[in-house]
Amino acid sequence: MTVNNTIAHQRLILSGDRERFKELLRRRLIECGWRDQVRMLCRDVVKENESNNVTFDMLVTRVTPRARALVPDTVKKELLQKIKTHLLTQKDQ
Amino acid sequence: MNTIVSELSMNDLNNKFFEIMQNEGNAEEAANFIYDSIFDDVTLGFMFEFHHGLKTGLTDLIEGEKEEEDGYKIVNSPECDVFGFSIMKKTPDSNCSCPNCERPVSATRFAPHLEKCMGMGRNSSRIASRRIASNSREPTSYAGLLSDDDDDADWAGGSLQSERRKRRIKNNNNRKPNKLHNGNNRNNGNQNSDSNDGSATYETMTANEKKNLLLQICGVVSEHTKKLCTRSTRCPQHTEEQRRALRNTVLEPSTPESQTIGLTAEEAGSPPDSSPSSSCSSSSRKRDRHRAVPKIKNKRERNMSPNGRE
Repeated sequence: MTVNNTIAHQRLILSGDRERFKELLRRRLIECGWRDQVRMLCRDVVKENESNNVTFDMLVTRVTPRARALVPDTVKKELLQKIKTHLLTQKDQ
Repeated sequence: MNTIVSELSMNDLNNKFFEIMQNEGNAEEAANFIYDSIFDDVTLGFMFEFHHGLKTGLTDLIEGEKEEEDGYKIVNSPECDVFGFSIMKKTPDSNCSCPNCERPVSATRFAPHLEKCMGMGRNSSRIASRRIASNSREPTSYAGLLSDDDDDADWAGGSLQSERRKRRIKNNNNRKPNKLHNGNNRNNGNQNSDSNDGSATYETMTANEKKNLLLQICGVVSEHTKKLCTRSTRCPQHTEEQRRALRNTVLEPSTPESQTIGLTAEEAGSPPDSSPSSSCSSSSRKRDRHRAVPKIKNKRERNMSPNGRE
């Protein structure tokens, strides 16, 4: 199964459509305010660890799980739908 | 397996891809996988952004320094303003006591108070002299009025402003007597008897006071307020005709032939029996002698004259 996914992913990258989807997701997340929420999470993490130096890895491991949960369902559904239809329409060509 | 996949040619990849996409479930799964990958990328991008801002101090610059809330808390108590300072207006040491009336005066108001209280300063000498004139009815009160001329030696040297003012008053006194000299002695006797004539505000004054007042102010009675115009005799609000008419109505009963201000001025300068005023009139006559001298010189002489003479 991972091979199948990798193949689809690989083809998406080669066609350049992955960048398109990434840009779309980025824009959606900014629009819905998710970026600001994540920024607040980051700031909280920084505040908690004010004494010791905050590393990037620490930030990622602390924030990413919560950030993932914060993504609005509509955004996620839209992206999934778009990717899927893209994949399926590719097949028809 | 992985190595095989990595070595797939573009054609093989396409074929494999279409083969996989035959199954919609595969497509769904692939979509999820791709979404996760994309999401990770995007999240990482934001994280990098934030971390960069944090490490370079950019975040602090954009969001500003955190304020210490305690220092700027709004104080809400009745005795203080919002900054917590006392709202007591004056501290006792900022008060000066007036040398004239012994009242405590705020330092910032001290000069204006002195001006009013002692009658020194720009407008106040006129105001003060008028107050003296209206307060006391005796003819001797007249000396106070002309103190501007007589007491020059005492304090005139101080302010240029008051000197200039005095000079103007002197000019008024000098110029007017020059025009008409006759008949003042004859009329002096009648003055006090006709004090009840004239407009409402003039009724309460004696003839001397009226003339005195009219020498210094415009004096035209306003139609609306029924009050006297307290501006100078050259005030722009009233015409010369108005002033002349008023002076005629107020002063005519006592001095029928006085058609100009000049006569009233001369009369004011010499009331029956007060020594300061008589000295004034004599001094004014002395000054008349200097009138032939060119103007600038004349001014200077007049300026010096009170000290030289007395």
